[in-house]
Formats: sequence, C-alpha cells, structure tokens
Amino acid sequence: MKTLIQPRDERTQPARIIAGYPQTPWRNPEQPLVKRSPTLSELTGPVEVARRVKLLGGDIAGHGGQQAIGQLIHLRLRVVDEDGAPVGGAVVELWQANAAGRYIHPNDDDHAPVDANFYGAARAVTDETGLLELRTVKPGAYPVPTRDGWWRPPHIHFSVFGKVWLSRLVTQMYFPGEPLNEQDRILNAVPDAQARSRLVAALVTPTREHTNALVYEHRIVVRGHQATPAQP
Amino acid sequence: MTRLAPTGEATLGPFFPPRYVDEGANDLTVCGGRKAKGGAIEITGRVTQVDGAPLDNLIIEIWQPDAAGIFGHPADPRHAQADPDFFGWGRVATDRDGNYRFRTIRPGAPQGRIPHINFMVMYSGLMRILKTTMFFEERADPVLDLVDSRKKLLIAKTEKPGHYVFDIRLRGPGETPFFDD
Repeated sequence: MKTLIQPRDERTQPARIIAGYPQTPWRNPEQPLVKRSPTLSELTGPVEVARRVKLLGGDIAGHGGQQAIGQLIHLRLRVVDEDGAPVGGAVVELWQANAAGRYIHPNDDDHAPVDANFYGAARAVTDETGLLELRTVKPGAYPVPTRDGWWRPPHIHFSVFGKVWLSRLVTQMYFPGEPLNEQDRILNAVPDAQARSRLVAALVTPTREHTNALVYEHRIVVRGHQATPAQP
Repeated sequence: MTRLAPTGEATLGPFFPPRYVDEGANDLTVCGGRKAKGGAIEITGRVTQVDGAPLDNLIIEIWQPDAAGIFGHPADPRHAQADPDFFGWGRVATDRDGNYRFRTIRPGAPQGRIPHINFMVMYSGLMRILKTTMFFEERADPVLDLVDSRKKLLIAKTEKPGHYVFDIRLRGPGETPFFDD
C-alpha cells in the first residue's frame, strides 16, 4: 500500500525559466529549492476527491443540434504509476480551447469565435484499469500575446490526482504531426526528446463504435512506485 | 523491472476553468454537510511575484491530517481512526488582490512531525507545481529543519486567535522556501 517517491530525472521535466515566456522569471523561485525526503504527510493524499469537487463527466463535445464545431475526437487516456500499474479512481480534470483556439475564460480576449456548444472542461474518474474515455473536439492553435509570433500548438491541459500528494500532476498533451509542436516554448522546455515525445498523443485506428471520431491514445505516468528496486 | 519516467509537468496556463474552483472547496470544516471534529481555523494570505505585484486567479491546494494528526489515506497506519467527516484536501483561487482564504480544522501532529499544512501553488508561468509547507510554530521537525535561515517564512502569523496569515512570495525579497522531493 505504501507509495514511494524518488527524485525524477531532471531531463524529463521542463525548465522553470523559459526564454520568450516572460512570466517565468517573475514567478519562479530565485533561491534553490529545499531538497526533502518525503514523510508520511507527502506520501498520503486525497482519495475520493469527488467528495469535495463535482464531477462533470468526460463527454464535452455535445450531441445532436448542440454538437460543438470542430473535428470530433475520442481520447483514451490511461493513468499509470511508475511501475506501469493502473491508477484507478483518479480524478482527472481536462481543459482546452475550442476548435478555433478560444477558451471560455475571462482571461481570453482573443478574437477567435466562441462556440456556444463548447465550454471545454471535463472532470471524471479513471476506471480500475486506469482508463478514462473522453469525447471532445480537437482544440485549435492560438497566438500567445507576446508580440513575437509564438503560437501554442493544439493541446489539452490535464490535472491529475494520483495516489499521494506528490503524485499530483499538471501537464499538457499535444497532437502528432503538428508543425507548431517544433517551436512551442512550453513543449520544448522539456530537454529530453523522448520525454517530449511522450507528451504527444498517438493516433490509432478507429474502432467500429467510433467511426465518426478520430481516436487518440495517451498515457500519463504519475509519480510513485510500489516495487522495491532490484539489488545490483 | 524498468521504471517509467513520470510525465513531464507543464504550466496550468491562464485559462484554468473557474468552475474547477468549486464552491466550498476552500472550506475543510465541513464535508458532505457534516462537521469535522476539532477547532475551526481560518488561513488567509496574499500571493505576490518578483516585483511584489499580487497574482490573481492563482490556484492553491492544501493537504493536511485531521484534528488528531491522522491522514485520511490508507498509507497512514492510523487511517482507520481518521475522522470520517474530515476531508483533508481543499482548493482556492486568489482574488484580484492576490488574496486567498481557507477555513479548516487545526491539524494535529502526525507521527514524527509537528502540526503543518501542505501547500501547492499552480499558475501561469509556473512550469512545475511549487510545493511548500505552512507551520504554526517553530519547533523541531524533519521538514522544517531542512530550511536554514528562511525558516520563519514558513511559520504562519497569528492575526487573532484562530486566524493565521500565510503570505506566499514566489520570487524576490522574503521569498517563500519551496521544496523539491
């Protein structure tokens, strides 16, 4: 039952300060972080988060006359721990722009149109195999107000509650084959190319039940493992 | 057995849906309409960046044990005795002036630790979640003791009985110590 947490390979995690992302040097600590060995306090965490927050389901594309505009996608998201073991019962929060690249948020004053049938927020729980099936539309790209031509590639934000406090994860998922992926300052803040490629979903062959949607698969690995490391 | 590398973190960005900050998510004194055991306290604070400017719509989450110091999680050996009406996690967004407010139960001391509340900060421009811990007083503690000259910045100020103030400075003078695990 005990979940262990060990330091991550830094190359798999993004730089904290990014050239061309002006907010990063304003808000990230200047002092070195204090290295800590986790105690029980950090190796426990909220279970059944739905006791505190309202679940919204995983189908946010709308139906019939209320279907959102854009390319319908079916996303099979799988949440596992560092052993590859499924993390069932994990609350996952998704948020994304609409097909035109616009968020429903007071901070988004972009000129791209709002879609009356798309809010862009799903909150649901993984099943016992760690799987969460989501139905949405592919988000559009949008310009970042930096005045130097940085556009965010299509991406979906995820917030995931793992088994313990230190498993908590906020990440973004990208789409394969998008030219903007190559220049994105957030995706490319992760130094390791393989770690970056794991942030990109895989397009898979649609199954018979999803003939009207492109099907993507994506795996999220939250921190924590159970296995004892093998002795050398 | 090869271990999988945890997924790369990314910023929350500026568009975290307001509806994800559920009404009542910052009040840990009640859960499902039932009152938790222990003394209710209030924690407020202001979050600022390098130039001292307040940060609005920043997300803070907390995690803590119940009034007896027991975590509502199976890894706590005393977990079976945890207060069933206390859920130790909460979330809040800062307002226009960078202020946040939690209502909670004063936590008991977990095994081997002094009473404390774990904090996480998520925001646009933060490529990784920032983790810190609020303490009520300066005493020996395996986590607090890791912080050298800046220890006092992790001790909440008592505004009045039952009301604690814990300001968070992300960068600059009086910068809050953050942890890396």
